[in-house]
Amino acid sequence: MIRWFSGLTLNQKLGLLALALGAVAIFARVGPGQTITLNAKELLTSVQRQEDHVTASELAAWVIEGRADYRLVDIREPKAYAEYHIPTAENVPLATLLDGALGRTDKIVLYGDGGIHAAQAWTVLKARGYTHVYTLLEGLDAWKEEVLFPVMPRSPSPEEQARFERAAQVAKSFGGQPRASASPGAEPMPLPTQAAAPAVAAPTLPAGAAGGPKKKREGC
Amino acid sequence: MSAPFYKLGAFGDEASLIVAFLVGIGFGFALERAGFGSAKKLVSQFYLNDLAVFKVMFTAIVTAMLGVTYLSWTGFLDLGLVYLVPTYWVAQVVGGLVLGVGFVVGGYCPGTSLVSTATGKLDGLLFVVGFAAGTLGFALAFPLVKGLYTAGDLGTRTLPEALGIPHGILVFTVVVVAVLGFAGATWVEKKMADRAAAATE
Repeated sequence: MIRWFSGLTLNQKLGLLALALGAVAIFARVGPGQTITLNAKELLTSVQRQEDHVTASELAAWVIEGRADYRLVDIREPKAYAEYHIPTAENVPLATLLDGALGRTDKIVLYGDGGIHAAQAWTVLKARGYTHVYTLLEGLDAWKEEVLFPVMPRSPSPEEQARFERAAQVAKSFGGQPRASASPGAEPMPLPTQAAAPAVAAPTLPAGAAGGPKKKREGC
Repeated sequence: MSAPFYKLGAFGDEASLIVAFLVGIGFGFALERAGFGSAKKLVSQFYLNDLAVFKVMFTAIVTAMLGVTYLSWTGFLDLGLVYLVPTYWVAQVVGGLVLGVGFVVGGYCPGTSLVSTATGKLDGLLFVVGFAAGTLGFALAFPLVKGLYTAGDLGTRTLPEALGIPHGILVFTVVVVAVLGFAGATWVEKKMADRAAAATE
């Protein structure tokens, strides 16, 4: 037996070794199987590295630049979407998220009213193997606070003043309105109509999105 | 579970580039030592004179498959986190045919052309220029071929899922096929060598 084995060429020995390992592997229990498994550590690492979101100001800059390498997805119901949505957003309600409208390799930015629904949708998409998913940090709330209705700080430094003036310009291009200073309990600001919103260079609205009813809504 | 290292945060973005660089150097070195820096060696594959490409690639598949299986079985590697290229079967059939034609005509595939260039071969360098131009052309023409790019989307599929057989059985089957393939390849090479010898007599 030993003599027979030592008479083999190296290639034959390696072949035998592979066969032996393969035979043992028959009993291996591996693979993710049919159920979706989330690796908590991987998800948390990705969150901790801030790889999971974009801020409202970043998104505003992307829209103004006319960047086309991502898909902005409004996960609210069609009614809420018709009332107001961020320019260039498409509507894919939460329940239909996995129905094939989104590609697994697309760069996707999700948003809802606050941050929670989008974050939940983010988790599901990540678990299903969508590779480039982000949420808009704090959702439409942040979009209104930071982009549409930026607030002039009380007694601003020159730097803050300059930052506010830039923000005010961005706000106007999206049909928003900069505010003089934060005053709790102030009148809610009216959201821009969709017709007013795309006053920026590149963005185009999906068909049927323009001219939503003007409706006063509290800044949530 | 402590692997994949990057996804579980063992190192960050910058370190991952260094790791990728080292792995790339290792890969290139292995290809060069297998003789794949030479277009003659690679193309012999298609004339059945020298099936080294088949043997090396199948060896790599079997080695990686057994390694991943055992690492996952022992709980070291979370297979669910290993990135799988999604199956776009139409796109992949078309892409495979284009690559195959390029391989036969040019004598290299993209990886081996870089290996060949690194060893100072001009035909390899020309091939690299060609595939860079092709890549650029594809990028520019992308709006026209966008539909093809994702045609035949089946999502991320694995053979055990698609065939409905346990992972272990599939592993053993692939090993058996590989070993039979090696024996067959060696037999074919001998046949072709005999024929060539007879032709020169």
